[in-house]
Amino acid sequence: MKRIFLMGILLLSLIRVSSAQPALSQGESLYRQGKFSQALSLYEQELKNHPNDPFLYYNIGNCYFKMGSKGLAVANYYRAFKRAPRDLDIRHNLSLTRAACGERLVPSGVPESIHRLYFALSVTELTGLLFVLFWICCLLGCFWVLKRKGFPVLITLLGLWICVAGWWYTRIQWENQTLAVIASPVAEIRSGPGTNFPASASITQGHLLTIQDSKDTWYEVIVKSQGLKGWVEKNAVEKI
Amino acid sequence: MHKKLFALFLFILLAGSVFAQVTLTANADKTVLTLDDELTLTVRVTGVKGNVTMPQLPSLPAFNVYSREVEQSSINRNTTLTFRYTMLPRFVGQTIIGPITFHYQGSTYKTEPISVRIYRNGSPAKPSDSSHTNTDLAPTQQPDPNLPPLESALASQAYALGTQPFFMVAAVSNRSPYVNQEITLAIRFYYSQNFYDAPYQKPTVSNIFMEDASSSEGTQTIRGTLFRYQEQRYRLMGAAPGPATIGAATVTYHVGSSPLSALDRLFGGSAVSEERSASSAPIPLQIRPLPGGQPSSFYGAVGTGYTFRAEAQPQQVEAGEAVNWTATVYGATNLKPTKELIFPNVEGFKNYPAASASGSVSGNALNYKTFKTVLVPSASGIYTLPAIEWSFFNPATARYQTLKTQPVSITVTPSTREADGYDFSASHPTGSGFQTLNTDVRYLKTTYAPEPGWLSQLAGWKIINAILLGLLAGCVLFASVGRKSLVKKKTFATAKNQLKKAASVNDVAEATASYLHQKFHINTGSLPLKDIAASLKKCGVRPATVESFSLLWQRLDAARFAPADSAMQSAMDLSEQAMDVLSLIEEETKS
Repeated sequence: MKRIFLMGILLLSLIRVSSAQPALSQGESLYRQGKFSQALSLYEQELKNHPNDPFLYYNIGNCYFKMGSKGLAVANYYRAFKRAPRDLDIRHNLSLTRAACGERLVPSGVPESIHRLYFALSVTELTGLLFVLFWICCLLGCFWVLKRKGFPVLITLLGLWICVAGWWYTRIQWENQTLAVIASPVAEIRSGPGTNFPASASITQGHLLTIQDSKDTWYEVIVKSQGLKGWVEKNAVEKI
Repeated sequence: MHKKLFALFLFILLAGSVFAQVTLTANADKTVLTLDDELTLTVRVTGVKGNVTMPQLPSLPAFNVYSREVEQSSINRNTTLTFRYTMLPRFVGQTIIGPITFHYQGSTYKTEPISVRIYRNGSPAKPSDSSHTNTDLAPTQQPDPNLPPLESALASQAYALGTQPFFMVAAVSNRSPYVNQEITLAIRFYYSQNFYDAPYQKPTVSNIFMEDASSSEGTQTIRGTLFRYQEQRYRLMGAAPGPATIGAATVTYHVGSSPLSALDRLFGGSAVSEERSASSAPIPLQIRPLPGGQPSSFYGAVGTGYTFRAEAQPQQVEAGEAVNWTATVYGATNLKPTKELIFPNVEGFKNYPAASASGSVSGNALNYKTFKTVLVPSASGIYTLPAIEWSFFNPATARYQTLKTQPVSITVTPSTREADGYDFSASHPTGSGFQTLNTDVRYLKTTYAPEPGWLSQLAGWKIINAILLGLLAGCVLFASVGRKSLVKKKTFATAKNQLKKAASVNDVAEATASYLHQKFHINTGSLPLKDIAASLKKCGVRPATVESFSLLWQRLDAARFAPADSAMQSAMDLSEQAMDVLSLIEEETKS
């Protein structure tokens, strides 16, 4: 009986692998032939089945980059980076594409190693770490309350937990800000939500924006790299 | 001799006065001309001296005088003045430049009339081929049945009103149009006599949009009299269903026995004139609503004979470059009031709608409206821009009709401008023999991302947070409250054990005192028996039990501090008695 059960599980996993892998293989084949738009369609279709897979976002970003749409490439690399920040390929491609758009992934003045450390864990991993530390603190707290022993260890762990909580909080803040990328070749930053307001600047594709507000077909955005604030048409940007 | 000389002198003087007689002549440089030509009228006055007045031109309704030159020459104090008037013909037909008058020293001089024949542009050699023949060849008092309805309506009204020398008529091509259906309003001012200074006031309209269309001139013979007319046409469109009105158009003209030309009035002069006016009759209209069931591609056009086409330029672009997608509708009606076309969305393109433009071609005969949107492809590939639909309402069939453009194919190639803002050029070779040739994105991932690690999975176990937090709270609660309660519960058992094991009266007294201290915080060592009894009562011990305790405590005191009296009391008895009393106290204070 056990054997039959194990065989069933094995067969199911094989069926799953065999149905999924051809899509990626087919996408790769198209990519290698230079049929980037067809590969893109395939990956986007596959994304419906795996909505949180960072590698699919990475591949979509690659297709857009190859098709010359750096703005959409940046948007998809960012989606991948949020989910798998330690992946070196994702980091490299995001860094390269942002550099191609005249921006940096690592803010100026921040060492690369610090940036890598800060993004060493994804937000879910960081949340898990925070939970584990909290649980240990709770158990040690119980022990100390009942037995009045182990106080130095408890204090040390509490300090560590507070540090991780601070790290987690800043990362949550970063994740929660509504980011967008200029997707059209050129977008105009206007002083108000309408074409009747004068354009204060034009900005090329791939630049990262932070969305502050929305009105009709316009977003109020901040371009941190340029210290700009204004309104841009929704159809000129891609929300991340 | 003197007489002869005097007579000769007198003769010369008389002869001089005879030779100095004023003459006035007028001639035109041409008597046959077209509407494109200009005519120079030369008026010459000879034999005048001193200040003179200007010659007075007759009324010249068939001409516009726009230039005047004066030339003066003197011979023997006799002055010759030459006036040259440059004039532009206004009407086709035979016209007469009337006598030009000149007043000098109480006498009036007049020139002979000059007959001039004006032909239509480009046809001076065909006097019979003139525009006025369209009506003045119709001798009957009924309009030509071959005339279009609008012209026929105007001609009919003119026949009815032809007894007056001046009158106005107006007619529309349709008295019950649909909303937005274009109709034509024509207004004619007929005149068979000369007039001048005739300002025109266009009609006022309600519930109608009105736009100038064209103006023309012509002639029509009515009851044997040749009438000239000036015609003004308008394009009308009903704004909303319901009644609409076209008001009266008015011409205020001047007639007089001695009318003055504009030039004459400029240089002074007076004439007897009379101001009159002619008006057309108001025309009521009934605007009909458009029937329901309008297609989604209907933007308000009402009419017939539309054509619709679309194009995209360029048809081959790089990703990120703009493609202009335009759709143009052509038609005889005014297309300006129609709404903006909504282009269909195209997958893979960013859409930037642009403003539409309208105008007319072929001498205002054909109107057009062009809609434009800018498409920017984000990716390479071959795309098909879908067909665009545009509907109109055909008033002839009272149905909506839809026009459709052909789909347009666009080829988008990958962008060649990837190096913007980034240096992809090859770097110099390094000393290690390694040389970066190009920088590109790293290759695809050929597998799915691995399952999330244990840390990520732990993030889902939020319930453990609550459990452990509860556990901690429980521990804290226990440490602060439960521990004391447990000690209290253990007090009686401890006292019982101590009493069982008591070997002396002191052990019994100590066990009893310890019980009271731990259980009720009563310090028996420092309190008299009376206070201990009162404290026990406060803690809920019954008076009888308190009495028993007092008795026990007295016996213990007696056994400890007065051994003579306590000889009979064994520690065993006291221990049993203490156990009974403490049991009673425990029971009574449990609740």
